[in-house]
Amino acid sequence: MTLLEARELSGGYGADDVVRRVDLTVTEGQCVGVLGPNGAGKSTLLRLLAGILPTTSGMVELIGRPLATWRRREVARVIGFVPQAVSFAFPLTVAEVVQQGRAPHLGPWRPPAPRDHAAVAAAIARVGLSGRETTAVQRLSGGERQLVLLARALASEPRLLLLDEPATALDVRHQLELVAILRALVRSGVGVVLVLHDWNLALRLADRLVILKGGQVSAVGAPAEVVRPDLFREVFGVEIALVPEPGGVPLIVARSSSGMSRQGE
Amino acid sequence: MKRAADVLLVAVLLAAAATALLAAGPALSAGEALSALVGSGTSEARTIVFGLRLPRLTLGLAVGAALALAGAALQALLSNPLADPFLLGISGGGAAAATAAFAALPAMALGLVPAAAMGGAALATGLVWWMARGPLGPSSTRMILAGVAVNAAASAVILTILSVAPSPRLPGALAVTMGSLASASGPTVAWLAPYVLVPAFVLLLHGRDLGLLATGEESAAGLGVEVATVRRRVFLASAALCGGAVAFAGVIGFVGLVVPHLCRLVWGHGTRRLLPRAAIAGAALMVLGDLIAHRALAPAELPVGVVTALLGVPFFIALLRRAP
Repeated sequence: MTLLEARELSGGYGADDVVRRVDLTVTEGQCVGVLGPNGAGKSTLLRLLAGILPTTSGMVELIGRPLATWRRREVARVIGFVPQAVSFAFPLTVAEVVQQGRAPHLGPWRPPAPRDHAAVAAAIARVGLSGRETTAVQRLSGGERQLVLLARALASEPRLLLLDEPATALDVRHQLELVAILRALVRSGVGVVLVLHDWNLALRLADRLVILKGGQVSAVGAPAEVVRPDLFREVFGVEIALVPEPGGVPLIVARSSSGMSRQGE
Repeated sequence: MKRAADVLLVAVLLAAAATALLAAGPALSAGEALSALVGSGTSEARTIVFGLRLPRLTLGLAVGAALALAGAALQALLSNPLADPFLLGISGGGAAAATAAFAALPAMALGLVPAAAMGGAALATGLVWWMARGPLGPSSTRMILAGVAVNAAASAVILTILSVAPSPRLPGALAVTMGSLASASGPTVAWLAPYVLVPAFVLLLHGRDLGLLATGEESAAGLGVEVATVRRRVFLASAALCGGAVAFAGVIGFVGLVVPHLCRLVWGHGTRRLLPRAAIAGAALMVLGDLIAHRALAPAELPVGVVTALLGVPFFIALLRRAP
């Protein structure tokens, strides 16, 4: 079943569109990786898909209904949005931040019920932060904060997760744990759209890759179709080598910048 | 422990209110005041209790609750622990508009002073927001600097009006800048009620949204907050609370800053839990501050703004030193 479908989607900040005429579809149990150089419009695309930024043209449908007709709270019950970083002006505890994920299910007055507390505890356990519930998030490392934001989105029990570079501040062990968490979610039917910089992580996670350059789709398809040296040269300006791995998914090694002078080597 | 703190908070509020009614001055003994309160006692005692002390108490409760609630809401909305109606120039904007209204309006139209104060507070809020907003959302530093600028402009307006205003209007205009509950009367309290009750309800309604906004607008929108709508309502409600407070009690600083932070120390940082408690604590602090202002140098009376500033400034410095 199609969870989210964008057609000819354009949008940005102010007068200029950062994202232009992008098509993208996510079905249940599918993980879509969005990759591209810095400034390609990846985060903007994610905000447009979540309805946080208004579109200037094109359309987004969430479960068959135009996103613009959804109330924000209804959207937040279906889509778990994980921003790159969040400003914690006040020293909230881990549990208080994850509890925020239940807000879309609560009205303005209703206090959290046992069912909400259970969802929060499960989400904290899932990202491996059990026992840290009363720690202030300001005392956590950057990577742990990203896990708290992931737990907050999981606490809302979404059908679709949109993640903006969730692995940037994670060490290797936590990256592998993130892969395991997301794989399990995808297996259980959750749709995932993931903005990433790490190609090797993307190859191990995504069923489908969308490559953005200058706000437009440069390539789209299964990882095996997209990972081509000529595409890397065109989009990133780098030469790559594909190193075969026993599992079948090759490792990508960047060798040099094709636009860069070789005199320094 | 938090339940015990709730009980203690209500007890402090009741004790402050009882002291304000029964022991606020040497004119009546507590026994005489109590007799008047239950309907017996001399007519003079009843006049003092119902005509002076009760309105003053009610005004103190309303103004304290209004300022603390506005402070707590603005701190969350702007993700800025230093946000406060006084520091951000919102009270200043309200005071400038109220002073202008006192000086310019005919005597029969003085009921419009609160509306003018509310308009001035709303304008100041909009200005600060506009100046502080950058491409990545509002910046805390720019916001405080914008507050400094708006406060300076408001002071300039007030001083100009005081210099040129016709002299019979001066006391009313001057009182706005002082911060005092001395002008309380039955009618002023009745006038103030809608300026406090309606916006207070709006802020409490959006308590959960404000908690989400404290982690930034993008994050809040992702969790289902209609950011533009909530921001507009909270700004207007805060401006109404500050405008109402300024129109009837003048500029009283630091209540909006200190009270929410004191409550955070006890009840944590969840905004939905914080707002009602900040309102009650603000009400209690204002009544206690007014008792000190009233009695400390009796028979002379200090403006209550002096007392809240004496309490608030050291707290503000401590907060600034601790801020990351």
